[in-house]
Amino acid sequence: MSAGPTPSAPSPLATLRATAFGYAPRVLQGRGWAVAALVAVPVGISLAISAISRLKGLDMDPAEALRIFHDGLVKMMLPIMALVAAPAGIREDLEQRTLPLLLARPAAVWAYPLGKGLPWFLWGAAWLVLGALGLQMVGGDPSLLLGRIAALVGAWWGELALMTLVGLLFKRGTLWGALYFFLWEPLLRIFPPFLQRLTFTHYIESLAGSRAAEVKTHELLAQEQVATHPALALLVLLAFGALCWALAGWKLHRTPIGLAGSESEG
Amino acid sequence: MISLDRASLRYGPILGLSPTTFELPEGGGITGLLGPNGAGKSSLLQLLSGLLPPSGGEVRVFGQAPFRNPAVLARLGLVPEGDRLPSGLRADRWLRMMGELSGLSGEALKGALAGALETVGMADRAHLTFARMSKGMRQRIRLAQALLHGPELLILDEPFNGLDPEARLGLMDLLRRLAAEGTRVLVSSHILSEIALLTDRILLLFRGRLLAEGTVTEIRQLLDRHPVELRLAGEPLDLARWAVEQPELAALRMEEGAVVLSVRSPRDILPRLQRAAAGGQLPLRALDPLDLNLDAVFQYLTKDHA
Repeated sequence: MSAGPTPSAPSPLATLRATAFGYAPRVLQGRGWAVAALVAVPVGISLAISAISRLKGLDMDPAEALRIFHDGLVKMMLPIMALVAAPAGIREDLEQRTLPLLLARPAAVWAYPLGKGLPWFLWGAAWLVLGALGLQMVGGDPSLLLGRIAALVGAWWGELALMTLVGLLFKRGTLWGALYFFLWEPLLRIFPPFLQRLTFTHYIESLAGSRAAEVKTHELLAQEQVATHPALALLVLLAFGALCWALAGWKLHRTPIGLAGSESEG
Repeated sequence: MISLDRASLRYGPILGLSPTTFELPEGGGITGLLGPNGAGKSSLLQLLSGLLPPSGGEVRVFGQAPFRNPAVLARLGLVPEGDRLPSGLRADRWLRMMGELSGLSGEALKGALAGALETVGMADRAHLTFARMSKGMRQRIRLAQALLHGPELLILDEPFNGLDPEARLGLMDLLRRLAAEGTRVLVSSHILSEIALLTDRILLLFRGRLLAEGTVTEIRQLLDRHPVELRLAGEPLDLARWAVEQPELAALRMEEGAVVLSVRSPRDILPRLQRAAAGGQLPLRALDPLDLNLDAVFQYLTKDHA
């Protein structure tokens, strides 16, 4: 076995390609279908209700698609998708103690989080696009379709990257992620403009249109909604995701991780 | 090939490896890293395989620090302890990825994949997912991933754990073959008899300290104050009478049909014993060295340092 010449280290691009293709079959297993179901089930139910309504000669409320998009997909399903998919990324290797097998290769260690995350991003993005198209059939505004797709895919990129980073930074990354998504994000309405810009929801709404429900009179602390230009909002989501992937790669590269998944005092 | 200069490793407040110094020369051969659980074997292997940087001192593999160093990692293969593999993947596809991550591509990758699978005897079962493989099969696949890129240094951490006797012997044969082909094999174990069967050179670790290095015989020679026990079967009184006249005798114990001698320097007394038996002066029926093996060496050394 040792007769041949020793190969040189693969390029970062080759590392990305190898890990993305190598781990791609994982998305077609249980967790991958759970991610798909998070989009398919609410949209599918809406489509079924819509079809039944049409059969009975009733019209669907045009606001229904807007409500499913904002309250179903954006507020609930998208964060859960990230919470479900991110632990199957590089965090999984850390927990299963298979990471040393990767770290002992001469490849670019910083590329592993993105390489393992790419199949999940593409899988989730495909289902989100299908979900956005499905909402059109429920009665979504056609002029907002591209914005919705960009918002969902951009936010999915950012949220998956954030959860991957949090999973490498904290032992209980999923918990911290859940707290961010379900405690911080809902505070959007009472946030001043600066803090509104520190939420995914702000950029999603800037891309896909206003939030589903108007501010009620009892919401005394509600602030005026601010908007970011759609192109800038998309750029922010993509750049934030890229930053999180880069930080996750940097963290993995810098952290000594041994056979037990623990760090030494290097 | 490998040199440690007062290299140590800490896990927070816990000392995994005390400052350790040793060198392994270039070239093939098997070196056994021996010690009980918690001795620091895995810590040392993690330093050598570049998973962890030393907390103090210096580690050099192929003349360079191995931590996150592709130039070093491209020349070594690591088989970590256990049989863990990524869940839900097929072995052949995962191995292909590992080959690509080692810088292989195209025909070279295909050839390396086929060669590694052939070497570990898994060519016809590599299409299975890890979940459908036995522990022995997974261990072979873990070895295959380490062999893909033809490493000059192969590091195995407790590779015999959980393997059935046939698989152990098969793995030993394979390691001997690789060593004969020029690969330097560094294998850790706490199973003394297996290491004794396998290696021509031993590093003995205990509680994070390197106690001794060398062959079993060399290590044994360090232990002058620890007598070797020899069981001589025959007429006990005659045997005892002969034994008490020998200057190397440290202790003598009578048993039914035998005497057990504790002797300090077996290399000196054994030829005399052989001559006396051959000349008919000694009614010796059998000679059984009770502790001239690795277990005894290990027990002696660790007892001193406990």
